[in-house]
Amino acid sequence: MFSGLTETGRRAAVYVRIGWRNLWRNRRRTAVILTAIVLGVWSMLLLGALMRGLAQEMVDNGIRTLTGHVQIHAAGYRSDPVAAHAITDPDAVTATVRRVLGGAPWEARWIERVRVPVVLNTARHTGGATLVGIDPEREPELSFIGPKAIADGRFLRPGEKDAIVVGRALLDEMESELGHTLVISAQDRHGTVVSRAFRVVGVYRAELEATEKRYVFVPRQAAASWLAMDGAVSEIAIELADYDQADAAAARLRRALGSEAAQAEGPGSSGKAALEVESWRQLLPVERAVFDLYVGFIQLWYVVVFIAMGFGVVNTILMAVFERMREFGLLKALGMRPGAIVGEVLIEAVFLLLLGTAVGNLLGWASVAALSVHGIDLSAMAAGMEMWGLSRVVYPVLSRQDLVLANAVVLLLGLVVSVYPAIKAARFTPVEAMRRI
Amino acid sequence: MKIDLQMAWRNVWRNPRRTWLTVAAIAFACLILVFMLSFQLGSYATMIDSSVKIEAGHLQVQAKGYHADHEMRQVVRDPAAVDRVLDGIPQVEAYTSRATALAVISSDQRTYAGQVVGVDPVQEAKVSSLESLVRQGSFVSADDPEGALVGDLLANNLKVKLGDELTVIGQGRDGSVAATVLTVRGIFSSGIDELDRTTIEMPLANFQQVFSMGDAVHEVVVVGKDLWGVPAIQRQLTARLAGPGGGDQSPPLVVLSWNELMPGLLQSIKVDLVSGLIFYVALIFVVAFSILNTFLMAFLERTREFGVMMAIGTPPGRLGRLLLLESLALTGVGIGAGIVLGCAVTLYFQAHGIDLSGADELLAHFGISGRMYPRLSVVSALAGPLLVLIITGLAALYPALKIRRLKPVEAMRHV
Amino acid sequence: MRRKAPRNGRPAGGRRAFGAVAVALLGLLVGAAPICRAADAPPDPSVKAPDGNALVRAAFDHYRGKASSGTAEMTIHRPDWERNMTMDVWTEGDAQSLVRITAPAKDEGNGTLKKGQDMWLYNPKVNRVIKLPPSMMSQSWMGSDFSNNDLAKTDSLVNDYDHRVTETETRDGHTVFHIHSTPRQGAPVVWGALELEIRDDQVLLAERFYDQDGALVKSLTTSDIRLLGGRVLPATLRMQKADKQGEWTELHYTKLSFQDSLPERLFTLTNLRNPSS
Repeated sequence: MFSGLTETGRRAAVYVRIGWRNLWRNRRRTAVILTAIVLGVWSMLLLGALMRGLAQEMVDNGIRTLTGHVQIHAAGYRSDPVAAHAITDPDAVTATVRRVLGGAPWEARWIERVRVPVVLNTARHTGGATLVGIDPEREPELSFIGPKAIADGRFLRPGEKDAIVVGRALLDEMESELGHTLVISAQDRHGTVVSRAFRVVGVYRAELEATEKRYVFVPRQAAASWLAMDGAVSEIAIELADYDQADAAAARLRRALGSEAAQAEGPGSSGKAALEVESWRQLLPVERAVFDLYVGFIQLWYVVVFIAMGFGVVNTILMAVFERMREFGLLKALGMRPGAIVGEVLIEAVFLLLLGTAVGNLLGWASVAALSVHGIDLSAMAAGMEMWGLSRVVYPVLSRQDLVLANAVVLLLGLVVSVYPAIKAARFTPVEAMRRI
Repeated sequence: MKIDLQMAWRNVWRNPRRTWLTVAAIAFACLILVFMLSFQLGSYATMIDSSVKIEAGHLQVQAKGYHADHEMRQVVRDPAAVDRVLDGIPQVEAYTSRATALAVISSDQRTYAGQVVGVDPVQEAKVSSLESLVRQGSFVSADDPEGALVGDLLANNLKVKLGDELTVIGQGRDGSVAATVLTVRGIFSSGIDELDRTTIEMPLANFQQVFSMGDAVHEVVVVGKDLWGVPAIQRQLTARLAGPGGGDQSPPLVVLSWNELMPGLLQSIKVDLVSGLIFYVALIFVVAFSILNTFLMAFLERTREFGVMMAIGTPPGRLGRLLLLESLALTGVGIGAGIVLGCAVTLYFQAHGIDLSGADELLAHFGISGRMYPRLSVVSALAGPLLVLIITGLAALYPALKIRRLKPVEAMRHV
Repeated sequence: MRRKAPRNGRPAGGRRAFGAVAVALLGLLVGAAPICRAADAPPDPSVKAPDGNALVRAAFDHYRGKASSGTAEMTIHRPDWERNMTMDVWTEGDAQSLVRITAPAKDEGNGTLKKGQDMWLYNPKVNRVIKLPPSMMSQSWMGSDFSNNDLAKTDSLVNDYDHRVTETETRDGHTVFHIHSTPRQGAPVVWGALELEIRDDQVLLAERFYDQDGALVKSLTTSDIRLLGGRVLPATLRMQKADKQGEWTELHYTKLSFQDSLPERLFTLTNLRNPSS
């Protein structure tokens, strides 16, 4: 079977076979430490995936709640989001977006919105909210709002003049209902206060109650004509191929828009940006911080689990080595080099770790897959989850980085700590060894 | 029994290296558990304290119905009587009075609806952390009756800075028009949007005058020495206010705890606690299996020895007990070491704090500064190790039970 | 059979005073816009179902004076408390009104000015004029059961609703029309429906406000019908929230007169601040 291999290869093959068999000489002991490794790897992967799922969900939710990956606003809009602070020539801006980010690797898609703070009135209540004028056909591709989010009634249709879609929580707070009208007041682009009655055609549900209480949606044309926008829009939101691209994309866009503005103004331009371009990392600082915190915690968890597991691995291999003290002594007496003995022990350790991580990975992957179907429902703690800004259902997310890191930690570090017993094995002098029973 | 203990102890140290590794594994787990639990519980205390100290306090004395309706006329008519009662309750750390009104707040350029809060300049600082959240200028002061402290988002919306004037018009307690002009003396940022966007604070004495409050206030805000003493304070306060010392109470007074004032807070802590538990249990299981081999080996490699002992008359039950004692001794050392080390590490950070500078915005959101302090308590020091004891105890039980089935003759022949 | 109101001999402008005053103070009156038949059309016994819309328009025109000035007392009543205010009121056309409080001494000099949809507030103690932001428009006016909005949207009743006479009855020798008003498509009103009771001599007897589920939210009732400024009008109006029986606000006119017009400078911010009359 090994005839095709070289001498070294053949020797190595023998060691491998011996190593594998040695592992199973004491089945129960191997099984026990394997269980420890399997449990360790499994908990690393599953719990890590749950944490990442939570963090990812928070960020995704933030992005899907109208933030997108990159946003463009007129200067001053962010601190004072009134209709007057509008992007006057959205077509020119979207043309630039297409030019700079249209192709690979960005694959940018964008959408325009009219977004202003409003006052809602019903017969018994007054409340504040943010009115978002959207394109009913294109918006659902980029954010959470769309026919799928509608719990009652229907979504908006383009061209409707007075239809509005409201969040369940807000509707309950205002003691209003599907089919009722809400009187909405806002400041139009000239600063005049205008009021209009909108009829609730649909009720939506969002991940967080806070979202439902904040946003009301109308068709963009209706908002634009009501607020005398005259072709201007409040914001342009852009979605890219991956959210990691956001900062780079924003920088490119900023440069392109800035230079265009300078060109348009001609020599002697102020150079001051008329448009603000921001990535989600700047728009959602809390989500970003939590995400980073969670990722740090995952790494910490891996280390802790490994250390707990590591003691057992060292101990077990040590036990196995001491048990075979006579054997190693004999091998040494027969001329086996210490290096080979070290290698021998390490091969056993490698098999142990590989087997343990393999099964652990399998279990981890299987449990993540199983939980991904329905997630873990934490609605019983909805108020608490809401306070942390987390959604009620948690889905585990097994990312490639986490997978690689977990396995690397166990395999590499496991190998490192196995060196100690391996060296011990190599140090048995034949005389000592043979004196022992 | 004594000889059993001696034997157990000596057996434990027959193989020092193995014992030390096992002890280290247990100690490590215990250390992690003690520290993490202290950290979690400490952070909750911090979180609650920070959240409540910004505004709500640990407890509040209010007119019945005020929390729901917030009407100007629902006042604490005799705050001095309430103060006297509070002076007599030892767990109370500090208290202050506040009054609130909805008003139209107007600057040169803009007008917004907002909330005006009259605060006692001296006492408020002992109760609320708002003073530490002042970013520009200064807190309200008794020497400056017309000075105001404004939330940063509100100041932004109104387009005012320090030194600018604000006109405040609202309704007084008697329904009359209450109006005054205040000068912006400070700007605060609590991280809580609603607070920063709608609130301005002014000296209580001036508020009472402008809003025709007389001596009445809307809330007496109480802070206890620590979070755990709050229920006791609530009990005593409720009892004494109902008694003769309660003072003039029309409308009648109620005592609300932070839990009733900020309902989501407790549940958010439960969420965190439960998720923490899952991790701890997973860790303990990994450790249990890690050290199981030690217990197993202690049994398996001494099979012949046990066979001999049984042959000379040791009942299997006693052997089992011996084994169990060994395991418990081992575990005990590990747990003991773990608790000691865990406490040491925790106490160190309890004094110096942990710098979580990466999570600045997140913590600011909850009104916490960048440093977190773990809090060592009887619960955090012992709960984790206790769980370790139970689970490793169970692991140790396995070989102890196996011994009973040992047949001496076979055992003696075991290699 | 409707009696012709004794207004044939009156100057044309006088007709519209009362409505304007009430509107200015109560805004409800805006909604309350009294229903009256067309000013000049003589009652025709052969007319079957009166045109609700026309009635309201006529009534509204009737109530609204070209200009008016007067004095009123407002009582705000709560289960444990009551407050009285006295005020001077001027109105002109549909859109302008000025109210100045004259008693009690603590509130004297406070005033509100309405022009179109905008409303300003003046306080003599701080000597400032403040324009009310949109979010304050649903808040109550001076703590009463009337809102600022009620004041600002004067002609809402006529323009924003479709009116239909549902019933006619006789009460105390007068014919009383019951009118059901539903908001027009797209009208920016929060009410689901209104119900009005109007007497044949243009006196508003009651107005009820219903939310969009059909539940009664508040009601306005009038009383003390007598001659005011030469016209038959209710001198007292009471506004009451439906679910709070012990709480109401009452407005009582002590003096009222109608003019063809009032000086324009009366309805300016300067005048709000410094009364010249």
